[in-house]
Amino acid sequence: MNRRFAALVALVVVCAGAGLVAGRGMSPSALWDVVGGGGSLTERHILFQLRLPRLLVALGAGACLGVAGLVLQSALRNPLAGPEVTGVTPGAVLGAVTATGLGFAGWESPLAVVVAACLGGCAGAALLWLLAGRSAGDPAQTAVHGVLVSAVLGGLTAMVLLVAPGQLGSVVQWLVGTTEGRVWQHWHLLWPWALAWTAAAWLLAGPLTLLRCGDDIATAAGLATGRARRLALLCAVALTAGAVAAVGALGFVGLLVPHLALAVFGADLRRSLPGAALIGAVVVCGADAAAQLATRLLAAAPDGGALTLPVGALTTCVGAVLLLVVVRRAPDRTF
Amino acid sequence: MTEPMGIRVEGVHFGYPDRPVLRGVDLTVRPGELTALIGLNGCGKSTLLRLTAGLLRPAEGRVLLGTDDLARLSRRDTARRVALLHQSAPAVPGMTVHHLVRQGRYAARGPLGMLREGDDPVVRRALRDVGVESWAERPVDALSGGERQRVRLAMALAQDTRILLLDEPTTYLDLHHQLDVLRTVVRLREERGLTVVMVLHDLAHAARFAERIVALRDGRVAADGPPAEVVTPGLLADVLKVAGRVGRDPEGGWPVCYPDHPLAALGHENHIH
Repeated sequence: MNRRFAALVALVVVCAGAGLVAGRGMSPSALWDVVGGGGSLTERHILFQLRLPRLLVALGAGACLGVAGLVLQSALRNPLAGPEVTGVTPGAVLGAVTATGLGFAGWESPLAVVVAACLGGCAGAALLWLLAGRSAGDPAQTAVHGVLVSAVLGGLTAMVLLVAPGQLGSVVQWLVGTTEGRVWQHWHLLWPWALAWTAAAWLLAGPLTLLRCGDDIATAAGLATGRARRLALLCAVALTAGAVAAVGALGFVGLLVPHLALAVFGADLRRSLPGAALIGAVVVCGADAAAQLATRLLAAAPDGGALTLPVGALTTCVGAVLLLVVVRRAPDRTF
Repeated sequence: MTEPMGIRVEGVHFGYPDRPVLRGVDLTVRPGELTALIGLNGCGKSTLLRLTAGLLRPAEGRVLLGTDDLARLSRRDTARRVALLHQSAPAVPGMTVHHLVRQGRYAARGPLGMLREGDDPVVRRALRDVGVESWAERPVDALSGGERQRVRLAMALAQDTRILLLDEPTTYLDLHHQLDVLRTVVRLREERGLTVVMVLHDLAHAARFAERIVALRDGRVAADGPPAEVVTPGLLADVLKVAGRVGRDPEGGWPVCYPDHPLAALGHENHIH
């Protein structure tokens, strides 16, 4: 088990290294110079003011989404639950977009974005809760209601975009999810939030593990399931909102990372919650490195200079394939 | 050995909007008693167990564990007094036997206590009690139906309660393993002074292992007493809706049923002595 954690940490370091090297505007050898204490002022600026915060934000957001997904799936006992399909992410996006559109928030005031995303995420989750009610543990029901809620929230987001197109460029980033242009300010806002809620989620590891056993068993074993579930959902919404406010709606990370975490670390959430954080960080950071590399390769092509591949597009494409695999082998047995 | 704890069910009514399930059940289970609940499917046996475990709240009446009113106990305090083995349980992908049984310690340790590693002697004892300690590290998903039943019994035992409720503990098991589970329950009850109430479908098991049989029909207690008094051709006909004859085990003296006996319907004397 410890060996698996060590391997994952090593993978995080490798992905982080790749993320630092992969970007445009600086060659790997120049990067090496800067690390060694040399390099020009511009190169130092690129590394320390642009690439490093971007990397940290990617790691933090990935960890948030991984933990949020695992908490959601455990609390709802639903392997197909995830922030994206339970209305949390679309709600958070709507909140962020609305706040930006109305001029309350923007790149200058990221805190307002976090708050707005949180409110939106809560609203999205509440909407699903109202619709699905007691059938929230039923994967098919939740999926259907989740699609409904996401469609409605997506429609509202589109309306806001049409009415207030002023900051369209930056707003669209939230829809796809990107780490482009994240600076220290974003990181300073993300890490305390992420740390606090991840710690809260970990403290809930015992109740969440019991919730995975089903409500009957959990109740008989002495867990007040309703309260535990509400606390868990609060954690999941807060973590998702933090991630959305930082990097936008990264598709499928929160849905698929928990499956990887459970496969690697087992159903004991004391271990698989930190595992999900690490795997989420690896996935988002790795995808970001791949997206940057692809962007760099595209830049070499004629007329490709203006193209930037957002990391969200990459996670969504890869995630869709993995989701198919998960759905096909989702267990449906009793014991 | 701690002092055994009794159960008192007083005037309990329970039902769903379209269907009453229990219509005034009174039942006193003495401390340390081994009681079997019998009756047809849907007569309210499982509901009565779930009410006693605090998983359901009665619409009327009350349930006392020892001297404590269940309605006043917190979820955790209830789980420290009474453990329930469910009829079935959902799959938990990726969980090992040891880990599942460990979940039974939740009430004793609390949410933060569950975070600590700690080698819990009660978990080890529970695994040993049902003889599954050798597969502690196997995934629950990979077990057979009978093995899972024993693991879930271990989980209930890990709660270390003085009252043990078993909802059809022998379902899914072959005869050998049925007897295995029942003998385990009888032995633990004697060793630890547990109060046991179990729903059984096999009247032969109830007559053989229980000190007392309580028969439910249409949400009421239809018969209550030691097996030798309760198990009669009349019980078979009225409660279980089968015609049958009842004899005695020549050595042990406990009642033996011959359900659907060809002579039973012919109006013969159905007590065989």
